[in-house]
Amino acid sequence: MKKIKFNKNSLARRYIYLMSLFIAAFLFLAAILLYSFYDLNQDYTSKNEELEKKERIVQEISEAFDQAFMDVRGYIAYGNKELKEKALKKEPEIRELSRQFAETASDYQDQEFLNHIEIFTDYYFVSTLPKSLANYENDNLEAVKETANGGATYRINSIKTEINGYNRELNKQIDANFQELTKMQTYVQIAFVSFILVFLIVLLRITRMMFSEIAKPLASFASAADEIASGKEAVIEVDDERNDELGVLSVAFNRMVASIQENEQDLLAQNEELMAQQDELHAQQLELQEALEIVKGNEEKLNSRNELINKIANSLDKQEVLESVVMNMCPIIGAEKGIIAFINDDSYASYGISPDGVKQFRSNLWFSDITESLMVERKPLLVKREAADNEKGFHTKQLFSYDLFLPIFLSGKKLVAVMAFSRSNSPFDSKKMDEYEALAKNIGIALDKINLYQKSEESRRLNQDILNTIQEGVQLVNAEGEIIQVNKKFCELFGCPDKIRQMGGCSWDEWTGLLARHISNPGEFIDFLREEISSLEPLNSSDRQYIYKGSSGQVFKVYCEGLYDGNTKLGTIFVHRNITKEFEVDRIKSEFVSTVSHELRTPLASILGFTELIMTRELKPDRQKKYLSTIYSEAGRLTALINDFLDIQRMEAGNQCYESKQVELLPTIQKVIELQKVHSDKHKLILEVVGGSNTIIGDREKLEQAFTNLVHNAIKYSPDGGEVRISLFEKDQMVNIEVKDEGLGIPPEAIDKVFEKFYRVDNSDRRSIGGTGLGLAIVKEIINVHNGEISVESQYGKGSTFIISLPLQAASLAMRE
Amino acid sequence: MKRILLAEDDEILRMLIVDTLEDEDCQVDEAVDGLEALGLLQEGQYDLVIIDYMMPAYSGLEVIEQVRQEGINTNVAILMLSAKSQLSEQEKAIGAGADYFIAKPFSPLELLDKVRDILDEKNKIQ
Repeated sequence: MKKIKFNKNSLARRYIYLMSLFIAAFLFLAAILLYSFYDLNQDYTSKNEELEKKERIVQEISEAFDQAFMDVRGYIAYGNKELKEKALKKEPEIRELSRQFAETASDYQDQEFLNHIEIFTDYYFVSTLPKSLANYENDNLEAVKETANGGATYRINSIKTEINGYNRELNKQIDANFQELTKMQTYVQIAFVSFILVFLIVLLRITRMMFSEIAKPLASFASAADEIASGKEAVIEVDDERNDELGVLSVAFNRMVASIQENEQDLLAQNEELMAQQDELHAQQLELQEALEIVKGNEEKLNSRNELINKIANSLDKQEVLESVVMNMCPIIGAEKGIIAFINDDSYASYGISPDGVKQFRSNLWFSDITESLMVERKPLLVKREAADNEKGFHTKQLFSYDLFLPIFLSGKKLVAVMAFSRSNSPFDSKKMDEYEALAKNIGIALDKINLYQKSEESRRLNQDILNTIQEGVQLVNAEGEIIQVNKKFCELFGCPDKIRQMGGCSWDEWTGLLARHISNPGEFIDFLREEISSLEPLNSSDRQYIYKGSSGQVFKVYCEGLYDGNTKLGTIFVHRNITKEFEVDRIKSEFVSTVSHELRTPLASILGFTELIMTRELKPDRQKKYLSTIYSEAGRLTALINDFLDIQRMEAGNQCYESKQVELLPTIQKVIELQKVHSDKHKLILEVVGGSNTIIGDREKLEQAFTNLVHNAIKYSPDGGEVRISLFEKDQMVNIEVKDEGLGIPPEAIDKVFEKFYRVDNSDRRSIGGTGLGLAIVKEIINVHNGEISVESQYGKGSTFIISLPLQAASLAMRE
Repeated sequence: MKRILLAEDDEILRMLIVDTLEDEDCQVDEAVDGLEALGLLQEGQYDLVIIDYMMPAYSGLEVIEQVRQEGINTNVAILMLSAKSQLSEQEKAIGAGADYFIAKPFSPLELLDKVRDILDEKNKIQ
C-alpha cells in the first residue's frame, strides 16, 4: 500500500519500476529458454554417444567373432598354426569388449544381449573350439565335422543373426533419438516466438499507458498555453487529484494562468498610459521637425550667401560672378527666377527666365521707368502685379506676382546694373530689404574690383606687348634678385621663348643658372649682375654696361638702369642686346681700315722714299730715270687702289649707279681683249664665240671693268705666259663667259675665299705679283647687280677658269615683269 | 763688314731700302716673306734685321717672336717697319722683341741714320 502510493506520487519512479520489472522478466525467461535449449542438446549428444559406443562395441565383437571363425576355418583348411593362434587370441579380446559393453549396458535388452554373447563365448572358446581343435590335430576330421554339424554352426549363425538384430535395434534408437531432438527443438522455437509475442503485447500496453498518462495531459497543457498566449480562456483537462508531476504541473499552470491574467491587466493599463505619452512625443517631434526645417532653410540661405560672398570675393571673372550672383540670390531672397543685367554693356546672367524674356528685359532696361526710379531713389523697388498666365500654373483664380528690383552702383555712384527677382503668390519679406540692399552693395564692390582688375590686366598686357616689341632683351629684377618681368626678346635670347610668364617671379639662382648655360664665361658676368642689383647709388649709365659672349659665339651687350621711388631703389632694369652683327661689322671695319692703310702706305712709302732720294742724293741720270718711272708706276698703283677702294665702297654702300641699257657682250669683250693684249707679249689671248644671243640689259662700263679684271688676272697669275682662252656661249637663257688660263691656279682651301675683299692667295709663287685683293670682289659685285652668277674652277698649278653667267635680255625683262 | 737682313714683300720698297743702304759698309740680304727670312736667320749670323710687319707666310711679328723665343741670332738687332702706325701696334712689336720701330711711309735718310746708329752701337759693344 505504501509502495503504490509512493509510485503514484512520482511518474518517473513508476516508470523506472515498471521498466526494471519488465527487463527482469525478459532476462529470466530468456535464460530459461536458453538453458532448456542447451540441456536438450546436451541430452541428445550424450544419448547419441552412448548408442554409438554400443554400436561400435557390438560391431567390434561381431568382427572379432567373424575373424575367429575365419581363422579357425583357415587353420582347419590349411593347417596354418599362426591362424590357430590368432583365433585363440580373439577370446580375451571378445571378453574385454563384453566387459566394456557391460559398462554401457543400460536396459534389460542390453543385459540380455550381453548374456547371450557371454554364453556364446563360453560355448565357443571353452567347450567347442578346444575340442574341435584337438580333433583336428588328431586328424579326427569326422569329429570336427560332427561338432560343426551337430549344432555349432547353427549357434554361430544364430549369434550372428542376434548381433545383427541388435545392431539394427541400436540404429533405430539413434534415429529415434534424433527425431526426439528435432521435436524438442520445435517446441523450444514455438516457446520463443510466444515469448516474443507476449513481450510485444506487454510493451504495447506500457506505451499506451504512457501515452494516456503523460502525452495526453502534456498536449492538453500545450493547447492551453497556446490558448492563453492567444489571449483566450484556457481549460486544462488534467485530473486535479493526481499527485504526480503532472498533477503538480497542472496546479502550477493554473496558478500561472491566474498570475498572467492579473499582469496582463496591469500591462494594459500601462500601455494606455504609454500610448498617451507617445502621442505627446509625436506632437513634440512634429514641432521640432518644423523648427529644423526652418533652421535648414536658413542654413541653405546662409550657404547660398556664403557661396555668393566667396565667389564675388575670389573670382575675377565677370561672367562667373554674374552667374553666381543670380544663382545664389534667388534662394537667399526666396525668388523663383531672377536676372542681373548691365545697363551699358552686354553682360548679364539669368536664372529661370526664357531667352525672350531676357531679351525683352535687357532691351527695355535703359528706358524703363523702373531704371529711372532706381537711379533716383537708389533703393530697392517692390512691385505687385497680377500673375501672368504662365506663372499661374493650374490656378484659375486671380493670383499676384511680386517683383523685386535691386540697383547696383559702381564706385557707390553710377548705376551700372539692375537685378530683378520675381516670386508668385507671396510678397517678398519687406523687413529684409536692408539686407538685400547690403548684398547689392557688396556685389557692386565686387564688380568694381573686377573692373579694376580688368583695367590693370589690360595695362599689364599693354606693357608686356610694348616690351615685347622692343628688339632688345628687357629684364626687370627686384632688389632681392628675383625677376619681376621680362620681354619676349629676353626669353628668345636665353633659349626659352615660351616662358615669358613663368620667368616672372623667377629666383636669382634659377635665372642666373639659366643664363649661365648660354654664356661662355658666366662667372664674371653674374658678378656684374649681382653688383648692379645690390648697388644703391644711381651711377652714370654709360659706366654700367658689360659685353659678354654667348656660348654659341654670339656677343651681347647689357646695360642697366636702377628704378627708384624717391631715394628707394625698387629694382634694376637690364637691357640685353645681341650685338654680334655690330661687333662683327666693327671687326671687319677695323680690319678693312688696317688693310687699306697698309695697302696705301706701301706705294706711298715708295713714292716718298724715292722722291727723297732724288732730292737729297747726287744720282746718275739713268738712276734718276729709274726712280722717276718707279714713282710714276707706284702713283698709278696708288690711283688704281684708290679707285678700286672707292668702287667697292660705293658698291657696298649701294651708292653706285648702274645704267640699264642693252649691252652686246661680244664687242665689249673684244675691246677688253684688245686693250689687255698690249700688256703682255708672252700670253696668247684667244676668243671663242659659240653663237647665239649675247645681248643683255646692264651697264656696259661696269661689265667692261669686270671682264678687264678677269682677263688682267688671268695674265697676271700666269707669269710664265700661255693661253688665255675666253669663251662666249648661250645656255639656258643665260650668256656664259668663261676665262681660262694656264697659270698658277688656286689652292683648294682658297677657292671659297677668292671673291672676298682684300683676300689674296698667300704663297711664294705670287709674292711678286701685286694686287689690292679687290679685283674679284668688284667683279662679283658687278655680276650680282646684273642678276648673274660667278664661279671658279681651278687645278692648283695648272690654271683657273672663271665662269660668269648673265641672264639674256629676254630673261631679264621677264624677270623684271 | 756688317750683315743686314731685309725682309720685305714689296719689291719696290726692297729696292728703295737696298739703294738707300748701298753706300754703307755692309752686306744686305733680301727675303721676300717671313718664311724665307726665318730660314736665312737660322743659316747665318746677322747684325740687324729690317723686317716688314705685314708679309705673307709668316708675318714680321711672328718671325720676331720665334727668333726671340728660340734664341736664333741672339744678338741681332731688330728694326720693324710697319704701315700700322698706331701706338698699340708699336707696343705689340716691341713686346714681341723688336728693338726699333719705323712707321710707313718713312724717310730713307731717317732709316739710314737709324741703321748707322744701330751698327755704331754694335761696334761700341764689341
